[in-house]
Amino acid sequence: MIWVLLLPALATVAAPFLKKREAMVLSFLAFFIPFLVSFYWLFTGYTLEVAIQDVVGPIGRIYIYGDSLSHAFGFTIALISAMVAVYSLPYMEHRFHEMGLDVGKEFRKYWLFYNLYAASMLWLVYAGNFILLYVFLEISLIASFLLIYMYGYGNRQWVALLYFVWTNVAGVLALIGFILIGMQNGTMAMDAIKAVGMTAWLLVFVGMLIKLPGFGPHIWLPWAHAEAPTPVSALLSPLTVGLAGYVILRVYFIDSSFIESYRIPILAYGIFTSIYAGLSVFRQKDFKRLLAYSTVSQMGYMLIGFAAGTFGVLGVVIQYISHAFGKSILFMSAGAIIAVYHGLRDVEKMGGMHEYVPTISNAALLGFMTLSGILTVGMFGEFFILKGIADIYGLSLTAILPVIVVFIISGLYSFYTMKNIFYGKPKGYETPIVSRLLDTPLYVIGIISVLLILPPLATLFLAGVKIAFGGVLP
Amino acid sequence: MSSAVTSTMASDMMPLLAALFLTPILASTPIAFAWAFRKDAPWARKLPILSVFGLFVSFLITLYILFNVEEGTKYVYPWLPAFGIDFVFIFDYLSKYMGALTGLIAFLIGVYGLEYMKDDYRLGWYWFCFNLFTASMLLVVYSDNLLMLLIGWEGLGIASWGLIGHWFRDDDELSYVGNMGRKVFGLNYFWSPSFGGWRAISTIRVGDMPMFFAVAAIYAFAGNLNISEIHWETLFETLGAAGTAILLIAFLMGPFTKSAQLPFSEWLMTAMTGPTTVSALLHSATMVAAGTYLFMRISWYIEPWAFSNAGMDAVYAFVLFLGLISSLYAALLAAGMWERKVLLASSTMSSLGLMFAAAAASKWLGEFAVEVSFWYLIVHAFAKATLFLVAGHLIHVTHDRFCGGDTEVAKKMKLTFLVTAFATISLAGIPPFTAYWVKSAMDEVMHGLIEHGMALPLTLLITISIIYSAFLAKFLSLNFLKGKKVHLHLHGGGLMGAAYTVMVSMLLVLLYLIMTGQEEVAGEFFHEGFVSTSLAVGAAVTVSYFFALIKPSIPQLSTVGRVLSDRLYMPFLNDLIVPKIGWVLVAIVDVCNRGVDFFFHQAIPAFFESASKSIRKIQKGYLASYMRVTLAAVMVLLVISSIVGW
Repeated sequence: MIWVLLLPALATVAAPFLKKREAMVLSFLAFFIPFLVSFYWLFTGYTLEVAIQDVVGPIGRIYIYGDSLSHAFGFTIALISAMVAVYSLPYMEHRFHEMGLDVGKEFRKYWLFYNLYAASMLWLVYAGNFILLYVFLEISLIASFLLIYMYGYGNRQWVALLYFVWTNVAGVLALIGFILIGMQNGTMAMDAIKAVGMTAWLLVFVGMLIKLPGFGPHIWLPWAHAEAPTPVSALLSPLTVGLAGYVILRVYFIDSSFIESYRIPILAYGIFTSIYAGLSVFRQKDFKRLLAYSTVSQMGYMLIGFAAGTFGVLGVVIQYISHAFGKSILFMSAGAIIAVYHGLRDVEKMGGMHEYVPTISNAALLGFMTLSGILTVGMFGEFFILKGIADIYGLSLTAILPVIVVFIISGLYSFYTMKNIFYGKPKGYETPIVSRLLDTPLYVIGIISVLLILPPLATLFLAGVKIAFGGVLP
Repeated sequence: MSSAVTSTMASDMMPLLAALFLTPILASTPIAFAWAFRKDAPWARKLPILSVFGLFVSFLITLYILFNVEEGTKYVYPWLPAFGIDFVFIFDYLSKYMGALTGLIAFLIGVYGLEYMKDDYRLGWYWFCFNLFTASMLLVVYSDNLLMLLIGWEGLGIASWGLIGHWFRDDDELSYVGNMGRKVFGLNYFWSPSFGGWRAISTIRVGDMPMFFAVAAIYAFAGNLNISEIHWETLFETLGAAGTAILLIAFLMGPFTKSAQLPFSEWLMTAMTGPTTVSALLHSATMVAAGTYLFMRISWYIEPWAFSNAGMDAVYAFVLFLGLISSLYAALLAAGMWERKVLLASSTMSSLGLMFAAAAASKWLGEFAVEVSFWYLIVHAFAKATLFLVAGHLIHVTHDRFCGGDTEVAKKMKLTFLVTAFATISLAGIPPFTAYWVKSAMDEVMHGLIEHGMALPLTLLITISIIYSAFLAKFLSLNFLKGKKVHLHLHGGGLMGAAYTVMVSMLLVLLYLIMTGQEEVAGEFFHEGFVSTSLAVGAAVTVSYFFALIKPSIPQLSTVGRVLSDRLYMPFLNDLIVPKIGWVLVAIVDVCNRGVDFFFHQAIPAFFESASKSIRKIQKGYLASYMRVTLAAVMVLLVISSIVGW
């Protein structure tokens, strides 16, 4: 079944030669089938390993490797990519019209880069060697950079460059870290690395902090995520930035010394990032920029989780999934409004939108529920992070109060935004006809998000994720 | 109690429990879908009957559980076995009654809603949320596992949010709270449905997150999440006094906010922007009572009377007084209130305070106090749901949400009048009606606290009871006897009348259970009714009731009344102070964001630009200028090397 991981490659090559609708179906299947398979792998605890090439040190053996951790990230990436592929069709058609471009021709380019972008992220989590992982990181960066550069909004060339420079700095720092790991161990193959030196750890960690991002470097993200074409935002924000967390996790599973020695600063930084970005959300006038700040806030959860012991790290994995689900739904709802109202994204011009686009409003509700952990998989993320906090810091108020505030703020901005955008006095827009492709994918993700807290899916899902932690978890 | 619980794996209950929770939700999906796609189809408006049928099925199952499932039975269904967390349903004294109560009230209000909401513009949303709410409430009621309980708990929150903000267009004066356009010290003193929803969920989140942490901490320290199985005494011993206090307060933040205790009371008042059916079910009978119910449930198994822990004792004392003070505050508010539903909302808050206080008294007086509190919850639920349903009917026929109506209303709506009169008399604590016996037991509980050096609780309880009875009489009087003249739009109302008549008749059933001693626990209350304190309080309450009936408003006190109906200016905390603090923080963050943005995206690029320009300036291409620079550099190097060398 391992060959299904190659389906996205097929789609990347073949989709540009098909008509736009067929290309959409192909891209959808190329990710949906891997979603089903990796979901199944997660449940069964299957570990895959395929050797590619033995290279001399310090690179070492290059191979494809998939354990429960890969599957947990992999099924998320595949599912979101499949759903966003469907959504891309009506959205990008609107965007090409808006930009005055030839729809047929542009779709060829679009499908090439879209599939390449999504595929590289999927492969990243199945890479068994850090150099391979880095290569996929860079491919995803270049593909997404090109998509923003070509089809973004506003000052798109500047934004694309900004995005490229920041994430490239992040990537290069991580690369130096990987090379140091390679020098130290004589290999970059994940199964052969014995220890990770402090400098290498620091470089990887700082690089990934820029990509994640934490407070300070976070400043590139609102630009990139707000001005990217929405389907790209719906991959960037939910999937790409969180992969920084995946990279840290991989190093953590080899050698957790760095995180354990700097637990408290990481916790403090995570809390600060999250509260700071959470507060930033309230002031945003642009729907997509608002969501971008919320991403930064949610990435703060990840840092908090890293600082909260084994259960906290388990929380990080679930947080990645729940954030990916929630944020992809939300970016797609923002995009749906942009598509049906010809570029409407100013929150102040919205109000009572539920009157006109009820299906999108209800989908956005599912998205915000996932972010705030209400009746959705987000609940488990919060639960395990909190359990980790209790494990490590006991009932110390200085640790628990700020973390509680972090979670409260997410709930507050979620429903504040719902109220401002979708409820209240309707502003007198026309009721549009919403393409089913613009809202159905959102519900598919939303429903999976709800089902993941109930048996039987919850039982299988959490048992599967637990396997990634081996015997560490009780 | 924990020792008495027998853990049985009744595997045959699986389909029954699945039906209990899933039927209401599945039965409301047709209307939800119909409303999304075929809103105008004539059959779409008939689908709510299906939703109510779903509620009926749930109700029957709760009845089955009440009569046929042995007390103390637990049913376990695997959920997260990898983490030792499972769906654990418990059927004990509290949950069996509470489940049946929820099932019955939800069903009756569902029937009422068929008529009340029939012309509504958003039926799909309404019925889906209504039934989701019922399922969540039943989950909270029957769950022994705290994480599973939290699913239901969050379901309550989200359904409540959805239903309060149901009329999201904010275009109907009848759905607002407060006098439209009124300002107090520059602050808008009226609230719209969309705002009410946001207020509710934002307040509840503030309580739910600490509670969520407490649950995670219990899992971390006790290794078990089943309320009936945790060794609370050992857990508290390990945590020490301070740890116990932190854990309990964090946990109780959930119940405090859900049950609208001070200072989290405002959301319940603005929740009255929702449809009246919602106020009746969620914001009086069940959801707000879930907070007190949960407190009773954990007290039932913690058994705080059996051991002593400084942290726990302090928390119970805190809950006792918080409950009483919230109750007094809310009773005063209700006395000054003119809006039908907000008056009832304040009275609900007052009752919730009493439930907390009585249950907290169990620390000193044992299990009996929890039972008293629980029975008060039951009596209150039926009486208050009835009053809300009546208020909804009155709002329909008068097109006015403020109290109003003279004897003509009583004549033309005889049934409604009689139902209201009976409900108020029963709830006020006038002997020998239903609440009297329960209130007498509560008097005894508070009386018992005097022996433990606390005289204040009894005084507060008597004061509250007197005010409580007065505003109930005021509600009756101002709507049916001595209120302003109103114009009635009488048509239909059959289903609504039937629903609240059945609802109020439940008070007779309860009365029967108490007086005949058919129900063992309630039968004990009967004796408390003949204690002298109880008789004295009963007499005082009766006097106050009839005084208020004759004189429902006192013009000389209108200024005081205004202050009270302005909710003692509590909205300033919620609408001015807290948001102001929030906005200041947001503004600071915004300035920082601009600063960081400027630094990275303008200052740094500008620096490199100017550096590059100045470096380019040097490169003029004249040999002479390069020579000069080289010579100067050599000179500087010579000087430096001679100094260093020397």
